[in-house]
Amino acid sequence: MDILMLFAIGLLKAAIVVFLVMLPGAVIAVYSERRLAAFIQMRLGPNRVGPFGLMQAFADVAKLIFKEDIVPAQANRFFHTLAPLIAVTTTAALFAVIPFADYVMIGDTRIDFAVAPNVNLAVLYILAVSSVAVYSMTFAGWSSGSKYPMLGSLRSAAQMISYELTLGSSLIGIIMMTGSFNLNDIVHAQANLKWNIFYQPLGFIIFLVASFAETNRAPFDLVEAEPELVGGYHTEYTGMKFGLFMLVEFVHIIIAPCIIATLFLGGWQPPIPTFILNAIGIQEGTIIMVLLQLGSFAAKVLFMMAFFIWVRWSLPRFRYDQLMNLGWKVMLPLSLINIIITAVVMFLLK
Amino acid sequence: MANINTNTRAQKMTFWERIYLPEIAKGLAATFKQALQPKMTRSYPEERFEPNGSYRGRPVLVLEESGERCVACGLCSRVCPALAIEVQAAETLTRDKERYPEKFEINMLRCIFCGFCEEVCPEEAIVMSKDYEMIYTNREDAILGKEKLLVPMAQLQDRLEYLRSHQYYEPQSV
Amino acid sequence: MPTFTIDDRTIEAKPGQTIIQAASEHGLDVPHFCWHPSLSVAGNCRMCLVDVGMPKMNPDRTPALDESGNPIIMFMPKLQIACATQVSEGMVVRLNHPKVKPAQEAVMEFLLVNHPLDCPICDEAGQCKLQEYGYKHSKGESRFEEVKNHKDKRVPLGPNVLFDGERCISCSRCIRYAKEEAQQPVLTFVDRGDHVTIETFPGTQFDSPYSMNVIEICPVGALTSQDFRFKARVWDMSFNESICTGCSRGCNTQAGTRNNEILRLEPNTNMDVNQYWMCDHGRLSQFKFVNENRVVKPLVRTNGVLTETDWDAAIAKAAELLKSVKAGEIAVIGSAKATNEDNYALVRFAKEVLNTPNVDFFRHENASFGDEKLRRSDMTPNSTGALEVGVKPASGGVSAKDLAAKITSGAIKALYVMEEDLAAISPELASALDKLTVLVVHAANHTETAKKAHVVFAVATYAELEGTYTNFQNRVQHVEPFVVTTENERRMGMKMSRLDKFGAHNDRWTQGERRNCRQSWRVITGLAKAMGAESDKWRYRASEDVFEDIADTVPFFSGLNYGLLDERKGVISGEAEKEFAEVYEYESHTLKPN
Repeated sequence: MDILMLFAIGLLKAAIVVFLVMLPGAVIAVYSERRLAAFIQMRLGPNRVGPFGLMQAFADVAKLIFKEDIVPAQANRFFHTLAPLIAVTTTAALFAVIPFADYVMIGDTRIDFAVAPNVNLAVLYILAVSSVAVYSMTFAGWSSGSKYPMLGSLRSAAQMISYELTLGSSLIGIIMMTGSFNLNDIVHAQANLKWNIFYQPLGFIIFLVASFAETNRAPFDLVEAEPELVGGYHTEYTGMKFGLFMLVEFVHIIIAPCIIATLFLGGWQPPIPTFILNAIGIQEGTIIMVLLQLGSFAAKVLFMMAFFIWVRWSLPRFRYDQLMNLGWKVMLPLSLINIIITAVVMFLLK
Repeated sequence: MANINTNTRAQKMTFWERIYLPEIAKGLAATFKQALQPKMTRSYPEERFEPNGSYRGRPVLVLEESGERCVACGLCSRVCPALAIEVQAAETLTRDKERYPEKFEINMLRCIFCGFCEEVCPEEAIVMSKDYEMIYTNREDAILGKEKLLVPMAQLQDRLEYLRSHQYYEPQSV
Repeated sequence: MPTFTIDDRTIEAKPGQTIIQAASEHGLDVPHFCWHPSLSVAGNCRMCLVDVGMPKMNPDRTPALDESGNPIIMFMPKLQIACATQVSEGMVVRLNHPKVKPAQEAVMEFLLVNHPLDCPICDEAGQCKLQEYGYKHSKGESRFEEVKNHKDKRVPLGPNVLFDGERCISCSRCIRYAKEEAQQPVLTFVDRGDHVTIETFPGTQFDSPYSMNVIEICPVGALTSQDFRFKARVWDMSFNESICTGCSRGCNTQAGTRNNEILRLEPNTNMDVNQYWMCDHGRLSQFKFVNENRVVKPLVRTNGVLTETDWDAAIAKAAELLKSVKAGEIAVIGSAKATNEDNYALVRFAKEVLNTPNVDFFRHENASFGDEKLRRSDMTPNSTGALEVGVKPASGGVSAKDLAAKITSGAIKALYVMEEDLAAISPELASALDKLTVLVVHAANHTETAKKAHVVFAVATYAELEGTYTNFQNRVQHVEPFVVTTENERRMGMKMSRLDKFGAHNDRWTQGERRNCRQSWRVITGLAKAMGAESDKWRYRASEDVFEDIADTVPFFSGLNYGLLDERKGVISGEAEKEFAEVYEYESHTLKPN
């Protein structure tokens, strides 16, 4: 295959991921966030737009598009516009390396279910791209020319930098066990229910908590702490620019479960051992197998998404000093301990 | 900010409370149970709320078969803390009560549904109805005149009975 | 000077005074319905029962003393009525005593046996003596279970007074008033027992010019005004003190105002001017011209039509017109209806700015109006004051009675008229006005004169201005505004009625006419400056400044100031230095807020 063909296929895959995974995912996230919040609060939640209120998200988007776009007089217009674009781009870029399923053979052509399959340094890519997102918040806060967004963005920068360390170091255990940064390898290593969550429970918990912090979700949503900061870094945004920030926030609760599922919950591996699948005639590379893989991946992601929402409406927000205490004094040492334990166990088992 | 280490409640916490995760699990369990509870809200336009007699909705004037009860004494207007009520009395020779309201207006934008007008009314002529759906598209529409305020007594039976059974003083024979 | 005791308070009474008189002069209120200080004593309501005792006397006419040396008091076995018991030396009266209270409660219970309990309907509610005593001196319960008596509810006693038999408690105040004060003894009790009611003698009606005073003295709502009946509740109105401008008596009044509209006038007690009374004409004639047909903005004639404009434009136009005429051809007409301040400013304007000797005012004498009680044949409030501040022709000047002839002959080409309807005075004058080249008028209403004018200044009526009037006794009385104009809005504040005070601009009850009127002296001050007068000499910012100027320059007003006038409720000229003793002023019953 020549380079052009590869590029075209990559572009096609990217489009499919954006329009069939990210945007519908965000819609599902919006709907389930509001519905679950309502249930926890003994309400019904949105049930007016469409059947069961399913079209609520589309109504919201339609409203946001028709809203006036206001740029404050004190704002830096260029960065004010750039910030939401960075946010969307970096978040969307994270999908590139996620394997949604294994592969399927159509004739002689092998189709991988990832935009960029078999990236050697996929884990590093995820960490790197997600830390670029901090720019969108700092830009948004600084360029608004208003004190609340400024404070919100400063908080978010400090918070994200603090928790990135933990986020990265909590993964080292998995990487040590797998011996690869490649997500495909990590998923393949989790076949036959050998999910990393069972081997790395501490790592899982640390990664989970850190990803709450990285996605700025409750109980770590100090960035937009409404009682003190009005709306946080996006206080001065209106219309669809604000809509993009909200989109990113909801895409976060898709992408974070995707990464958690891939790293800890066996990715697309169905919760059935391979020999049983082979025994009932489901072979690797067939369409049935791929559908099974897609289904189990989706189920894992949706479960984690529900968990994210559940946590948000259960736990109160941390205070800022508590957040920093937790990050530096608890999470980081724990993740280092996790590395040492993994290393010792691996050494002993060798 | 300096860390506060003298928080006695934090110091009293047990080890399991201190590591926080079991407490989080408890919290999650609590909200999960809550999510399965019957809902407190209702789908409003389809499922309507039927208030009982104690409900204080839009104040209305009682219309008897012989005409309105109101004698335009102006006490409701005087007691109204929001100055929502305006009454103009006039004389009539056709009824046994010689005074009647030529104009009786309630500005629903001012009304705060406190029910003082009802409480002060010596004739039981102004009562709080069950009507809670009040939509006005301009200020003039929100000023209700007599034609909108007068409601046949039969529709207000619940409230009138409620008032009788909750009177502050014993009714006297006059 | 008998000295007696009421509830541990020792009071020095005048000889021959009754207990209730002496007590009320010293601020002690003995409950009563039928007693009124200016009427004879009837003693039929029995509300003023008190426990009266006299010191026991030894045979040698010295007071008998008990062991501790205090005089022994022998109380009468039955309670006495305070209105008919004369005070004597050493008398002891017990008002707040366990014996008295049940008696008062019993009287109230009897009065309420047949009195309808429909205060919500009754117009007197809020200022009713019976209602007030119902709270103060009654148990609040009735043992009467039978059907109440029914009587006629709408009996016209005269053209202005309506009688409601059911509400009447038969105190006979109105009967005695008609006989003693109004000198028209046409009212009487008929029937007896609980059927007693009040009627006029056959073929007569109570149409005395003072008939409406019975409405105030009636302690209940039995007598009501045909004019005011059911118009407003007393608590919705503001009541402010003012002066009646119907004649040169200047009766003190209380004006009931709501939504910037005067609804009723009632007398305000002033023992030196009108005592407790005022005449029906004053009551009924003094608010229509304030409420209706007002010039609400200055008018200027453009292309033959009077059009509304603003004050600066009207003053500039008037200045231009007046400058176009020679000084000797201008006549200035003051007014006996205007205040001392306005007339004084006008005189100064004529002398100093227009330089014309032709200054005068018209008198409004009506011999048939005057009587010996209150009404005066001079039907203007301030002819004395107008004369004293100098509204009279200088030597060689044109006087009021020559005015029509002089205009017709062309000697007078311009006329400056302040608050006077010349066209209504005589037909000659009315037709003469058409010959003028310049006619500037200060008018509150759209009068015939105003309709002929080239410039009309919208001026305040007595209800909207602050100023002084001088009555026929040479008594200078101070009035303050009680109707809101854009000029006095800032100072009105708490003087406005309840709804006006607290209303927002979009409330309907604040939509009463808010007029852009000014007091005449303010108009004249502006005009004088516009015509080039030195502004140092026209430094008036409030009516008080003008009055200070008058007091300094006019000997008649020397020593007077607003503070003094308010304190003494009017001062007679030349008596500013005189010793002043506050006299007790009885109020039968008024609205008691809070």
